Amino acid sequence: MTTTTALKHIETDPAPRRTARVSRKDNGMSPRRRTALTGKHLLLIVLSAVSLFPVILVISTALKSEAEVRTDPFSLFTSFSLENLQNAWVVGDFGSYLLNSILLSVPSTLLVVVLSTMAGYTFARLPFRGRTVAFYLVVLGLLVPFFAYMIPLYFQLRGLGLLDTLPGAILVLTSTGVSFGTFFMRAFFSDLPLELEQAARMDGASEWQIFVKVMLPLVSSGAGALGVFTFIQNWNNFLVPLLYLPGGEFRPLTTGLYQFTGGRSLDIGPLAAGTLITIIPVVVLFLVMQRQVAEGFISGAVKG
Amino acid sequence: MSTPISMTTPKVTRRAQTRLGIALISPLMLLVIVFFLFPLGNAIYYSFVDFDGIDPTPAFVGLQNYTRLLTDPEVWHALGNNAIWIVIGTAGPLLIGLAQALLLWKVRHAGVFYRLAFFLPYVLPQVAIGIVWGWIYDPVSGWVNKALQVVGLDSLATGWLGNPNTALYAVLATAIWATTGFVLIIFLSALRNVDGALMDASRLDGVNAVQQLVYIILPQIMPVFLMVTTVTLVGGFSVFDIIFIMTGGGPANATNVIGTYAYTNAFQLSQISYGTTLALLITALSVPFAVALNRLQRRLSLQGTGA
Repeated sequence: MTTTTALKHIETDPAPRRTARVSRKDNGMSPRRRTALTGKHLLLIVLSAVSLFPVILVISTALKSEAEVRTDPFSLFTSFSLENLQNAWVVGDFGSYLLNSILLSVPSTLLVVVLSTMAGYTFARLPFRGRTVAFYLVVLGLLVPFFAYMIPLYFQLRGLGLLDTLPGAILVLTSTGVSFGTFFMRAFFSDLPLELEQAARMDGASEWQIFVKVMLPLVSSGAGALGVFTFIQNWNNFLVPLLYLPGGEFRPLTTGLYQFTGGRSLDIGPLAAGTLITIIPVVVLFLVMQRQVAEGFISGAVKG
Repeated sequence: MSTPISMTTPKVTRRAQTRLGIALISPLMLLVIVFFLFPLGNAIYYSFVDFDGIDPTPAFVGLQNYTRLLTDPEVWHALGNNAIWIVIGTAGPLLIGLAQALLLWKVRHAGVFYRLAFFLPYVLPQVAIGIVWGWIYDPVSGWVNKALQVVGLDSLATGWLGNPNTALYAVLATAIWATTGFVLIIFLSALRNVDGALMDASRLDGVNAVQQLVYIILPQIMPVFLMVTTVTLVGGFSVFDIIFIMTGGGPANATNVIGTYAYTNAFQLSQISYGTTLALLITALSVPFAVALNRLQRRLSLQGTGA
């Protein structure tokens, strides 16, 4: 399933090819077509507003004064203050949630990218007996939902002394990402021409040197896309910290937010601020690397 | 698999490749075995015993967990909710996403902005989505009720998430809002394969927009249509986060799906074995669709590289 190759250019603008031709047409556009076009844009703007409204609501509520939140929590931009952010950070513990989110997401993302790249190369380029069986075992992870084994995994982690520890949660997050990652990276390595490694081999390069010096640099864009996608997945992950970090000491933003809603549901101000802190990294990453994000999500859609 | 084992590959090279290959996949295989295959095997074991989370040697109960599952009315109720979730949660994003894609198709000005705006909800964490939509559905100051008031439909106003009759659909609406952008992006990429010359020619021949949609556009994007359907289908069986966050399966089990029911059994009622059996039911239901999806995607990617 190498959707990657098929849908790789999804976020790139399809227009440039057409631009020249159509913009000439623009000038001579009939009034009727112009009205239709304006209507289309109006509709699109309304739809965009619906799509973005909840995000705007979070920003608006988070940046309101405390008093304003109490009387009128959900009107848009009626006052401005950083009180809620301050409260979330200090009283609501969102500072430490943020730190935990970073401590969970960064190592697990790096692990996914490194392990998947190594395995992807093997499954694409290094044939040996038993490789097919190993491959199917890894790919099984794409078909079986996390739900199937999450409960026994809890008791297994408890037995290993990994329950409620950062390493335990990091390893679980990593394991939920490697099946897709391996698949994804394998597609990139498969696309590289055979001549490359043959030439390097002729020059006396060892298999390790071929992997590291010849092949690895050529898949860096793929590894980058995988990294961005995996980071967002891990940052957003709710179930893993909910189940395997129950103590609260290493609680990340997602379960921290959830905890906050249950405990003091009336503290809407700090809750909005906490929500804002939670989504900012994802939103920024998405806006900066939209193409990689879309690519990752589209080929990663298999995992429900 | 992808590399043909060339007859001319020297034995030395092959041995070196084997060595490197095994070294490179060993860490991954270890991780997969310990954190995936082993607990998966354990899940099957749990479903045949009566494990309460404490007793290290639980009693073997045969098929008791499975027969209980078949006779448990809440299982059927939850499955029904899964079915509603799957049907509406698939049809909604498909129809809205297709409409949006057709709208956006030929738009050049600000096209990127619209795409970003529509796709953004899909990358947000479900917790954040659940919280904000909880506010939007707020019985007193929520935007939905306020909007109803403005248009004079006060009588329809309700506590959307607290009312057992509306809760599931309210959460569904949120889920549709969150996934439509994803469907849209896939449709947009499929629309790029639609033959522009054919469209122009058909217009000259007096073919109307509906006919164009039915006879030219839809056949072109049919495989993508199927793929998106299967994706949302597979996800629909194991839906958990958004429901758990917004309603916890309540009020009065109204929004319970198999996922939340399995969680409640395992982690709140300490019926580990029964919870695991329920989770295996999700697996059994979704795996066939996941396999079909996989096949479909492989076929799609072949088409893609050829084009």
